[in-house]
Amino acid sequence: MSTPALSTSSALQIEDVDFSYQARSDGIDGPLYKEFSLRIEEGSIVTIMGASGVGKSTLGRIMAGTLTPRRGIVRRSPYFTKPSDVVYVDQHPMNSVFPWQTVIENVRYPLKKLNWEIAARHERICYLLTLFRLSDLADVHPAQLSGGELQRLGLCRCLSWKPKLVILDEPFSALDGRVKAEITSALHELALKDHMTLVLITHNVSDALALGMRCIIVAKRPIRVMADLDFPVGFPRDESTADYDAMQQALINGIRDGLV
Amino acid sequence: MVSAMGWFKRNSGGLLFLACLLGAWAAVTALRLVDSLVLPSPWSVVRAAPAMLHERLLADIGLTLGRVLLALVFACALGIPSGLLLSYRRRAYEVLEGPLHALRSVPASALFPLFLIVAGVGEISIVALAAYPSLLVILVNAVSGAALANQRRLYQARLLNLTTLQMVFEVLFYEALPSIFDGIRTAVSYSLVLVIAVEMFIGLGERGLGRAIYLYQSTYRIPETYGAIVIAGMIGILLNSAVTRVQNHMLRWMPNVHQEQ
Repeated sequence: MSTPALSTSSALQIEDVDFSYQARSDGIDGPLYKEFSLRIEEGSIVTIMGASGVGKSTLGRIMAGTLTPRRGIVRRSPYFTKPSDVVYVDQHPMNSVFPWQTVIENVRYPLKKLNWEIAARHERICYLLTLFRLSDLADVHPAQLSGGELQRLGLCRCLSWKPKLVILDEPFSALDGRVKAEITSALHELALKDHMTLVLITHNVSDALALGMRCIIVAKRPIRVMADLDFPVGFPRDESTADYDAMQQALINGIRDGLV
Repeated sequence: MVSAMGWFKRNSGGLLFLACLLGAWAAVTALRLVDSLVLPSPWSVVRAAPAMLHERLLADIGLTLGRVLLALVFACALGIPSGLLLSYRRRAYEVLEGPLHALRSVPASALFPLFLIVAGVGEISIVALAAYPSLLVILVNAVSGAALANQRRLYQARLLNLTTLQMVFEVLFYEALPSIFDGIRTAVSYSLVLVIAVEMFIGLGERGLGRAIYLYQSTYRIPETYGAIVIAGMIGILLNSAVTRVQNHMLRWMPNVHQEQ
């Protein structure tokens, strides 16, 4: 792991965290997390990768503060002053949108409640709906959207108010290749423009390679960091370049070493 | 015309059942299997209709319907907000849960004498008695609907620094709405049953469909009695389908409502 320069402050620091769910009677004993530590720099795009059921979503929710670890410290940047500064975007997009509101209402509502001025609100809504290709669906309810459209709406809504730390749980799982490329570039654009720290949680190699500048591979019970890789490859990423190949190889090696 | 055809097609099962029922009724009376004092023929009921209309039947229907609707409006206006607020303030609900369920177990009709003492003989007593169990069932359904709210979505709402009222009326209300409609549906039948029953027994110049049924029966005008009962049944069916319409409109954003259409 590269030691961060002194100037970069951390968005999130997890120290010696212990966590376990109480009512798991599946015969697997022991805590999910034991003395787990992790640090995420402000403004970085970090991927957390691991197999299904490892406890990645749990980690995401510990980061967001919706789950409290039994022991240990979760420190967030002192610049995160409002509850809306940190947001966890659920794996099931229906959990991150209000189904009784149309697409445009879903994006407008948070801005309205966070007291954005009308002009700024309007400009932001137009920009986001275009960026996430939802302009034509503005007056449709979420239940009428396809899986991919719904996932884009979930992202669009949760990023609307420029949160400072965004934890995205499997954000591309329902997107096909072309749309995924569009959305990754949209996310990249937003992250840079709004100075967001992004944490992407995924179990998919190509999702992990799509956006992250750093990839943390975790393995389970108790969860631990198997590899921590830096991906200093520019953006947009072209899958046919040697850099991308090297990155992919490094990731695959990391997974293999981690799982064996 | 096309929409009428569509309506017949959609309701063909129910209409067929109704036709069979009417056929059986006509057959039983035509064959004189039952004394016509107990069961008059369908035709005699139809023949009684003009006289019933002449005897301010429409006013009776209007009165009964008005009381039922008033009771429902009152029950919704009080039950929905207080149910949601109670659910949002868990502590308050934990204190009130026992008494609420105890109250719900007391048959509302048994309380009628109390309502008479408190509110006097009149309109207020009738409406209050119908509103009371409706209020409780809507309130309890609002509480349980809000308790079943999607916790992940409530997390999203909490990020936005909502006030208690915004949280309750802009988020919890919609989360609880399907369950609230179940409550309203039950409340509709409670209200209709109680209003008609009370109209029958309160007497003293109060009119209404229940009173009309009672008066026809006590003067042995059996076809009219049956006619009024059929009308009461139709009011029940109409109220129910009105609730369904409102529900389909207000829950049009729900996935399953759409798939049904």
